[in-house]
Amino acid sequence: MSAWATQSWRLFRHELKRGELTIIALALIIAVASVFSLSGFSAQIKSALIQQSNSFIAADRVLQSSRPVEEKYLNKADEMGLQHAQLLQFSSMVFGGDDMVLASVKAVSNGYPLRGSLLVATPDDQNQLSVGSVAPPKQGSAYVGQSLLNNLNLNIGDRFELGNSEFTISGVIDKEPDASFSVFTSGPRVMIHVDDVPATDIVQPGSRLTYKYLFAGDAIVEYSEWAKPQILETQRFRDIKDQQSPLANALNRAESYLSLASMLGIILAAVAVSVASRRYGQRHQPMVAVYKSIGASASFISKLYLLHWGALAGFSILVGLIIGYGIQYLGIQFMADVVPGVSLTVSAYPVLVAVFTGVICAVAFAITPLRQLIATPAISVIRGFAGFERAQSWLERTPPLLAVVLLLWLFSQDLLLTTALMLGAGAIIFTILVLGHVLINAGRSVGSQAGQAFHLSMANLKRRAKANQVQLVSFTIAIQLLLLMLVVRNDLINEWQAQLPQNTPNQFLVNVSQTQVPAVEEFLHTQGLAASDLYPIVRGRLSAINEEQVRRRVSKEEEDASEQGRRGIGRELNLTWHQKLPSENEVIAGQWFNQDNPKPEVSVEQKLAERLQVSVGDELTFQIGSETVSMPVTSIRTVNWQSMQPNFYMIFSESVLADFPATYIAAIYVPALQKTEFQTFLQDYPTISIIDVDAIINQLRTVISQVSLAVEFILILVLIAGALVLVAQVQASMEERERELAILRTLGAKGSLLANSVLLEFVILGALAGLLGSLSMEIGVFILQTQVFDMSAAIHWQYWLLGTVLGAVIVGALGMASCYRLLKLSSLTLIRRTL
Amino acid sequence: MLQDPDLILQCRQVTKQVTTGEKTLEILQPINLQVRPSETVAIIGASGSGKTTLLSLLAGLDTPSQGEIYLKQQPLHKFDEEQRSAVRAKHVGFIFQSFLLINSLTALENVMLPAELAGDSNAQERALSMLAKVGLKDRAEHFPSQLSGGEQQRVAIARAFISSPDILFADEPTGNLDSKTGDTVSELLFELNQQQGTTLVLVTHDNDLAAQCQRQLVMHAGELTEAVKPVAEVV
Repeated sequence: MSAWATQSWRLFRHELKRGELTIIALALIIAVASVFSLSGFSAQIKSALIQQSNSFIAADRVLQSSRPVEEKYLNKADEMGLQHAQLLQFSSMVFGGDDMVLASVKAVSNGYPLRGSLLVATPDDQNQLSVGSVAPPKQGSAYVGQSLLNNLNLNIGDRFELGNSEFTISGVIDKEPDASFSVFTSGPRVMIHVDDVPATDIVQPGSRLTYKYLFAGDAIVEYSEWAKPQILETQRFRDIKDQQSPLANALNRAESYLSLASMLGIILAAVAVSVASRRYGQRHQPMVAVYKSIGASASFISKLYLLHWGALAGFSILVGLIIGYGIQYLGIQFMADVVPGVSLTVSAYPVLVAVFTGVICAVAFAITPLRQLIATPAISVIRGFAGFERAQSWLERTPPLLAVVLLLWLFSQDLLLTTALMLGAGAIIFTILVLGHVLINAGRSVGSQAGQAFHLSMANLKRRAKANQVQLVSFTIAIQLLLLMLVVRNDLINEWQAQLPQNTPNQFLVNVSQTQVPAVEEFLHTQGLAASDLYPIVRGRLSAINEEQVRRRVSKEEEDASEQGRRGIGRELNLTWHQKLPSENEVIAGQWFNQDNPKPEVSVEQKLAERLQVSVGDELTFQIGSETVSMPVTSIRTVNWQSMQPNFYMIFSESVLADFPATYIAAIYVPALQKTEFQTFLQDYPTISIIDVDAIINQLRTVISQVSLAVEFILILVLIAGALVLVAQVQASMEERERELAILRTLGAKGSLLANSVLLEFVILGALAGLLGSLSMEIGVFILQTQVFDMSAAIHWQYWLLGTVLGAVIVGALGMASCYRLLKLSSLTLIRRTL
Repeated sequence: MLQDPDLILQCRQVTKQVTTGEKTLEILQPINLQVRPSETVAIIGASGSGKTTLLSLLAGLDTPSQGEIYLKQQPLHKFDEEQRSAVRAKHVGFIFQSFLLINSLTALENVMLPAELAGDSNAQERALSMLAKVGLKDRAEHFPSQLSGGEQQRVAIARAFISSPDILFADEPTGNLDSKTGDTVSELLFELNQQQGTTLVLVTHDNDLAAQCQRQLVMHAGELTEAVKPVAEVV
């Protein structure tokens, strides 16, 4: 082995054993371990949650169209080894005995559902009904909703007619995995086999049909990438997260949170590496000077340190991967009970990202300190070492900055978010530097009038202003990011819980006729059931805006053909009238209806208004049945579509719709204990349909609590990374203090005075960092909540106090712990170590 | 100008200036010095007189502002850092006031260092024998922090002599030691020096130590003069 390699290996071995490389190795290890575990773990959790949530759409992806899709979509799926199934949905009259009812028919192919299970009550050998997961109905038979049996007075085994075919009822649907969240689904459910549809002769040119193609399997992402660019505007290709539902929302936000947490984990680890690598350089300077003084060449030193650093980085990355795997293993063990489907298979991607992170951190953060180290002149053995005191030039700061940007971008694949994070961080650092300077200066003038220890600590803070600013920045960043994760997590979880409060409506009453309204209201009142108002429903179509006809349908093919005419909605809308502004709605332009001045008015939902390009004052014309009505838009509303309430695009003043025949709808929360009374009451009104969303809500709650748990786990990992930054920084600054402590000690300063002054110095730094951290956290949270999480922003005063106190306590305690070790050394040892 | 082949070290009109802000400080006035092989020379003077600066120039750790320095006939003043390093590796040994051992290496490894740099395959054997000479064979595996000041300086002496340098520079070698330990260390230094016939240039405050050298030079405000009076009266 060459001399440089021998030296390098020898140094590495001894230093590792003697704990001299602990902090820098730990910083790299944490960077690698956190990235590995975070990316691996969050990917696992995400895929398990999505897999589980995919049962809500019965597939991984759904392609929806009003016409059959081209064969290529199915052929490609076969080619890629995906499972697929087909659904055809339409409304049609069903005849049974002497009665008939408009049913919502769902024709399914074999294989349905691809995710989740179809629960149907079927008679067993003893003719007892039992609910179980079943395959789609066989040809000639059908599963139906309980309300169809009620409406048509039928039983299992009876037959009914649909179009030109007859079907035998073989079971009662208990739960469809992809049951609609929409309360406007008309009529009781009938489920038949898709191969029976042609014989019914129902499907005719012009029929309103919805074709859904379900896809699931490992290659689904690749398939989506292939399919998405090809689908037409009239078709929709979606996954669970595209749904406008509380679940999709929770999943999307959890995903953003997990990514963000991982990114912040990277930043924290990077800060730790940066602090530690500087210290590494400083500590090795005397060695380089000695090597050079006894004749080692610059290339000898370069090779020695490249190997030394390489060995350190390689070792840390390896340990980081092992620890990261351990964390992931523990996390997944812990989550396995609550999130079925997580597995311990490690995919290559997280390993690659983690190794890459380690390498980038090791290279980018070490370039400048290593260069300075290698350049240490031999004369330093006589003159002493000053190389690291000078401020770094922008050129020297570039590699770490670039590295962080590269890592964030790699991790998030989102250039905008990365840029925003970096710019935000830059602004925050600048503010910290300025504020820190001002506060420390202000503190000093106070300090000169206070006690001895305080005076000494303030003098120290001021004297080391430059070093302290660096410390302040890293303390602040650590505290800020930790608070940020904590606050966003709390807000997310609170909002998720608020979305589904205990009395979230779990039953929808649909098709309530005008004459039944008083009876329903009376029942709700006597039972003390929480319910939304009863909303009348009238179906109508938007036909003109400001007397200009709107296009009926917008599709790619039709776009070129009919350039004229404004964009319309293309389907019938559920219109309602209401005197009060519904809860969860907010008027953002114009005025809600004036009760004292009844005149025709309409209030439009904000997003729809944007799409139709209408604003307050525009005149809308609707076709309702054979009549045409026109009225001005007097307000634009935002609607919380995630609330389990009847929500409407268009709400009219009473005078517009009062004379049209309407059915009514209401959302009710029926506690389990009152369900029997509820069902008994409804038996007297067989025409009222109920939509039971209890199961859906429970499932939602489960998923949300799982997501919350995953979020908590990630938070803990980020906390560890943050704590390391604090430890690394305190350690680094402690070494700078050693010499000074030695002098003061020699001059006869009492241990208690030194301890108090160091404690105070760290407490002040910690409190300051805590306060600045809270301040910058607030800015960060505001940006995140408004831009990333789409939540309403709020100020978190309580965290300001928490941040300041925690900063003071933690930084003070860490400082004291390191200082205590030094103060316990005898003066002689201290002097020998440092002078 | 040709150098005298009988001299191991030669300085001609060497000056050193440092500029701080707008002020230029003359640390060394033009200095002329000649040292013969195996000679022992002490440079004495008050703190700040420039003696350590001169030592660093003579050893090739730094370059003069003006003048010429030849070490083993090599023009150090013309050499860059790398070339001076090579000269040091081949001809020079060092002993510092603050020992400057590498904390992460054991006593043995510290002593082996110069021999290994020179590509000596018997480095370990020779280092052990050097440690035995300085009486620290049984502390070979100890790290510097586990050794006393005197022991550390003895390790440094062993390190300085292992590669049998032609010239040894010692900067206050007993400055950090109590007088008893200092005496032991200086005894050892001169003993090894005599054994190996090494040229010794040492900078010190210690008159007794200086008196053990064949020549004593006095540095005063950057000027170097040969001591004509007994050393004790000069300092």
